[in-house]
Amino acid sequence: MINENDPSTLTTSGRLLNYNEAIKAGLETGITFTKLMDQLIKTTDTDELVAAATQLASFQLDSDFVTFPHQYSNADYYLLFMSRMLELHDQGNNVILQSRDHKEELTQQLTPLGDRGTFNFRIETSENGGVFYRERATGQALFYLNLERKMFRFSSHALTQLFIIDLHDTVPAETVKTSVQILVDFARFLKEDYGYSVDFNILDAANRQNYAVRAADLPAGIVDRLFVVAAQNDYMLTNGVNGNGAEIALDGDVVVDIFNNQLEGQPEWVLTVHDNEQKVSWFDVLIKYPFIRDWYLENLTDLEVKSDPLVFD
Amino acid sequence: MENQEQTASAADILTQAIANKLDYLSTLQAAVQHGDDRKVYELLDQVRYFQEVKKTRTTRTVNHLAELVDNIHPQISHYLSDNLIDYLGHIYPFFYYEEYTTGLFHIYFGNWWDRRLFGDLDVVNVKFEFDQAEYQKLRDSFALESQNQRLNTAKIEQISANSERLQQLVDDQAKRDTEKATLRDQLKENSGRSSMPWESGKVKDERQNIIDQLTKLADEDEKALDAHKAIKENDDQILVLSKEDTILNYEKQSIRDAFDDFEHFESHNASLYADYLNSLLGKSEGGVTVDD
Repeated sequence: MINENDPSTLTTSGRLLNYNEAIKAGLETGITFTKLMDQLIKTTDTDELVAAATQLASFQLDSDFVTFPHQYSNADYYLLFMSRMLELHDQGNNVILQSRDHKEELTQQLTPLGDRGTFNFRIETSENGGVFYRERATGQALFYLNLERKMFRFSSHALTQLFIIDLHDTVPAETVKTSVQILVDFARFLKEDYGYSVDFNILDAANRQNYAVRAADLPAGIVDRLFVVAAQNDYMLTNGVNGNGAEIALDGDVVVDIFNNQLEGQPEWVLTVHDNEQKVSWFDVLIKYPFIRDWYLENLTDLEVKSDPLVFD
Repeated sequence: MENQEQTASAADILTQAIANKLDYLSTLQAAVQHGDDRKVYELLDQVRYFQEVKKTRTTRTVNHLAELVDNIHPQISHYLSDNLIDYLGHIYPFFYYEEYTTGLFHIYFGNWWDRRLFGDLDVVNVKFEFDQAEYQKLRDSFALESQNQRLNTAKIEQISANSERLQQLVDDQAKRDTEKATLRDQLKENSGRSSMPWESGKVKDERQNIIDQLTKLADEDEKALDAHKAIKENDDQILVLSKEDTILNYEKQSIRDAFDDFEHFESHNASLYADYLNSLLGKSEGGVTVDD
């Protein structure tokens, strides 16, 4: 009896036919791949761009019968995707994509930041899937992106470590701001154009954003410390409007609150930043006010703003 | 000799006494109905009113009529507080009041973080009842200003010095370890020395000396081990003291903004009753012409 799935039962010509079919299928995969690559690189339609990136993100180019010796990693398609997405929003000049000679590997720089940061994506190997956008030298994973699940999450920890601590002494605040704005814009395009669920975390300038801090029950001394250093810097920490926290009016119409968001039961301490135009985030406050930055960093164990626990440890 | 007073019946006397009380109460009632706070204050303490507001020696005998309303003081206080707190708001913009139970008010100083509960407001007597301990701190802190010091400057310096010493102990650990090794070698050498009987006293002394030094170093080692915790505790103490200094500084600044100095603040407090009632007097006089 001839069973097509069992080669041992096939005739010679049957085996050759199978072999031929497998190669055809492998080449077909290659053709599909090149079409998707064309689409990713050339399309001017953002829908097509996202479609190409989503498919390439999990694309298996090699098959048992056809393998391609020169390949970019899936992570590189994300870099390409990011560049193109910015390009289609007239921000193409904000990132520089670099390829290496003799090696199929891409890296990216944020134009304002130049060689102070080199970025790429790292594939998340757990079943969560998705990728982390990280700075290569420090390993800080600034955000998580999952095209299939339409998810985008910034990491407060990595943003703080890289931009508030590591680059603080050597990169001007304005440069940091414009660099980070590129990432914010990228996330914003995904949110606005494709309904991605985006957590901007400490970059969120919306007034309603509550930044939950790591210590749910904040030790009282921490707010006291802010009170003392604020006074030394001619700012006054006052009692919060709702009586369960503190408030500090900064320059312009910017007001920062730190308070327990739960009137009953388990406490949950949060930070908020209010300004009439909703343009100022906690990150901006950290960049602008050295005494708040010092206070935040000195008490980072308790004060660090939480990131999505499903994605970041 | 006929004398009407002698013949006046007991009933008449009582009737008159009751009429006086009724008259007092209805006058008070009318004052409240007309929103005439000044009159209410006058009725509550006529002696004080005539002494401090009218500046006349009252010839009236004390009639004790005000005692009639002693047990409704909370309601009276609650009623009078509206206008009084309005008035105080202009003169003492840094005081905040909380009616913690009908007619009884806590005073808070300022609106800054962890502002202090500064005492009570006695509405009926138009008087601040400051918490003596808190008030004394403020007074001391004004006094220290001439020496360019804050209330807790000395304490903070003392604790900081202690922390520095502890830190030094930690930093000197390596030095001590070397010293200990040297001393132990000396001790070994000392024990191994076969001394002449007439030298034994000297060797013993030397030995004791080395042991004493080692003990001292071991004590320091122990302190260094606890230093981290002690420094942390010192930091916490310094925070409490700096916070208090910061609060006192805000309080002083508020008083200076409103009264120039502490003496003026105190003299305002002393004449608060008269000042307030005079302001009501001015208002009701002005009000009459408008209303009529």
